[in-house]
Amino acid sequence: MSKRRALWLVGFLLLGALALAQSKTISSYSNLGVTGGKAGGSLTLALGSAPQTLFYYGAIDSAIQTLANQMFDGLIEYNLANYKIEPALAVSWQISGGSRVYTFNLRRGVKWHDGRDFTADDVVFTYSQIVANPEARGGDAGNFAGVKIEKVDTYRVRFTLPKPAPAFIHYMRLPIMPKHKLVGFSQEGGKAPAEINNAWPTNVNPEEVVGTGPFRLQSYTPGQQVTLVKNPNYWKRDENGAVLPYLDRLQYLIITDSQARVAQFLAGNLGQINISGAEFPDLKRREVQGAPFKVVQFRALFGSPPHLAFNYDAKNPELARLFRNSDFRRAIQAAVNRNRIIEDVYNGLAELPGNGVAPISEWYYDTRKLLGSYDLKAANAALDKLGLKRGPDGIRLLPSGKLLEFTLTYGSNSTAFTGIATILQNDLRQVGVKVNLQGILAANLLSTGRGKDWEAIILGLGDQPDPELRTPIWKPGGALYYWHQSTQPATPEGAPQFNNFLPWEKEIYDIWEKAASTTNVTQRKALYDRWQAIFAREAMVIMIAKEYAAGAVSNRYGNYVYSLGVIPGYNPVPLMFQR
Amino acid sequence: MWTFVFKRFLIAIPTLLLISVLVFAVIQLQPGGFLENMLEDPRVSRETVERIRQQYLLDQPVWVQYLNWLGGVLRGDFGYSFLNNRPVSELIWERLGWTVFLAVITIFATWVVAIPLGIYTALRRHGFGAMLANFIGYFGLATPDFLVALLLIFAVLSAGGTSVGGLFSPQYIDAPWSWAKFTDMLSHLWIPLIVIGLDGTAGIMRQMRANMLDVLSQDYVRTARSKGLAERVVLWKHAVRNAINPLISIAGLSLPNLISSTIIASIVLNLPTIGPFLYDSLLNKDQYVVMALLMMSAVLLMIGNLLADVALAWADPRIRYG
Repeated sequence: MSKRRALWLVGFLLLGALALAQSKTISSYSNLGVTGGKAGGSLTLALGSAPQTLFYYGAIDSAIQTLANQMFDGLIEYNLANYKIEPALAVSWQISGGSRVYTFNLRRGVKWHDGRDFTADDVVFTYSQIVANPEARGGDAGNFAGVKIEKVDTYRVRFTLPKPAPAFIHYMRLPIMPKHKLVGFSQEGGKAPAEINNAWPTNVNPEEVVGTGPFRLQSYTPGQQVTLVKNPNYWKRDENGAVLPYLDRLQYLIITDSQARVAQFLAGNLGQINISGAEFPDLKRREVQGAPFKVVQFRALFGSPPHLAFNYDAKNPELARLFRNSDFRRAIQAAVNRNRIIEDVYNGLAELPGNGVAPISEWYYDTRKLLGSYDLKAANAALDKLGLKRGPDGIRLLPSGKLLEFTLTYGSNSTAFTGIATILQNDLRQVGVKVNLQGILAANLLSTGRGKDWEAIILGLGDQPDPELRTPIWKPGGALYYWHQSTQPATPEGAPQFNNFLPWEKEIYDIWEKAASTTNVTQRKALYDRWQAIFAREAMVIMIAKEYAAGAVSNRYGNYVYSLGVIPGYNPVPLMFQR
Repeated sequence: MWTFVFKRFLIAIPTLLLISVLVFAVIQLQPGGFLENMLEDPRVSRETVERIRQQYLLDQPVWVQYLNWLGGVLRGDFGYSFLNNRPVSELIWERLGWTVFLAVITIFATWVVAIPLGIYTALRRHGFGAMLANFIGYFGLATPDFLVALLLIFAVLSAGGTSVGGLFSPQYIDAPWSWAKFTDMLSHLWIPLIVIGLDGTAGIMRQMRANMLDVLSQDYVRTARSKGLAERVVLWKHAVRNAINPLISIAGLSLPNLISSTIIASIVLNLPTIGPFLYDSLLNKDQYVVMALLMMSAVLLMIGNLLADVALAWADPRIRYG
């Protein structure tokens, strides 16, 4: 072949690639058991509640989050095996200006479900008109305050941040919306900011709801089901070059009751369900006895590991003083039987927790040694050392002579929390601490914690791939640093009340300040390692356990990777196929 | 008769007003609210919540909110669902069809089964059949709905069946009506019928039995028998007709059950009725939806009472309304 012909050929190939969609080939996940699938078939899944809207940013609603995962894409997505960031609607990006300027090169040739081209305008519209709109109920205006979002050219978008934010890239997994369908609800289209929430209500014409995702909306039958059909022009390919998704149809039945979900699964009406530790043994037994499905478990990154928190600002000053004392919290920790909780409450489907970071995460620092071990003798000795003498009935006495007792608030409609609460009550009783249980609806736990009227609480706050994303929880003085509210700013925008910081809290605060502006990954990792060590050493809150993700899938389907469900940018469903 | 209906209608107006005040007050007394729940999400700022509060007039005094709401209701506007960002009436309307359908056939099935059984158990008080019917009746009264539902689901699953929830198999939910869809529905329908209807059937059966026993010992029944009337005529023309009267007022009371009685059964059996919708709205403190449904329930109760009174007058010549 002459040089000239070769050049021509290369030129043609390049042109061809430009004319066709730039597709993404899904790398092999052989360690997850993923193989080549075949096209066709349908899968029926369960939704735990009816969607409140069909517009992702219109409500904080788990149903639409689940559906949006299938109908829309973000600029980035997570690798299914290790949660590392991978290209999605953006093929590549550059970070410059000391982690302040993010430029994304968009995938060319991607079509919206109605055939229109996906361009930089859609990305700019999504972030500037929706995500950064403080009145969008499911938006994220807080993290986009002061961020300049601009179009560089048709396939390039630039974000300029007011200050360096090394974890900013993670917000790029938010679903991108079609400007041509939604501009009429936006400020750009001349509407009031709150009008955006009225986009795509549940009775919208399904043709209106267009995304770039693997499936598109076909119909919604109120209170019963949502049907999605395959997007034949999706931009993902499997290893062999076959178009994804394999399935022709996804059907979501709305089933609120978890027992009803299991029954429907056992009857073969659902292809896959997510289950809890409590449901695991029965399903596993059936699997072993030859039922036509598989029960699987994965170590999880997301999900909310429960912790035991004490109110450093409890109304009873004696208790508050005690709760602030790290020696007291460590003594209590020695009475927390984590292994028993993992066995009895989670049926073994959990592991020892990290401190603010999931053990599977790349940011995890091994704190297992610092968590202490279950040792009632040591707990007793430590409490003795604090001068808390036992009274006549075995309950310890506070310096004032009152009984050492406190109220433990937990979610009574959560089996896991109830189990943990009773085990804690029982073990603490043995070291002379009286615990009074107070059950409330799990949905009200956080608002109770953020109030002032509680003493101890069992609460779970979600893990994220980068600690930076959880700043309001773990940085002293943050909005969700609820166990020590006297550190929180007096006014919403003000500085934390540093005079109320404990010495180690100040240390953590400085670490977080530094980590937020450090762009070097190794240095950040070192900083967060130190934070986790202090967290564990001081038993800031007492972490209990990290639950695995468990699910069951019918043998009719292949390539099942447990779906974490509502996390945008984590979507293994396109790989599933019907045998 | 018509003046009676008209009078009842007039009395209903202040009653409903009073109920509306009560309903509104109860909702206001609930701790927290939809907006407080929103704060739990870190993405939602205090300012956002404040703006929504203004948008829905929730920053106004309670009585202004009440009058606003009442004014809306009088114009047929039941307010807005916070949760769904849609008018409440639309949302209720979407879910009303299956609710009414299930309620009507359940009530119908209940009566068709319970009345003959009541008569039968009264006549053959000590027979085996009567004892069995009584046992099932007690069982039905004593067992909570959800337990019956779980037992039936378990039984169906053990027998290898697949119709364990909902009104249709997944492939028929959106399908147009066909013979196959109809039979599929029948294969699902019997479970909710039993679960929702068991309580009522047992209750009405026992009531009917008691009424029958009562009536059978009355003088006019003895007179009829001594006159030499055929037993069939004595039973059906005199005894049953009189025994059935008190049940008519019960029938009226069963109307509001359309909304409330199916909540738990609907959740466990995954039925597309208003029940789960009400439950969800209560949990999320979606106040206008809850108020609309509670008001609907009150109105249905009044209509039911009125219908029962009218039916009673028609069935029993001794009752006349002036």
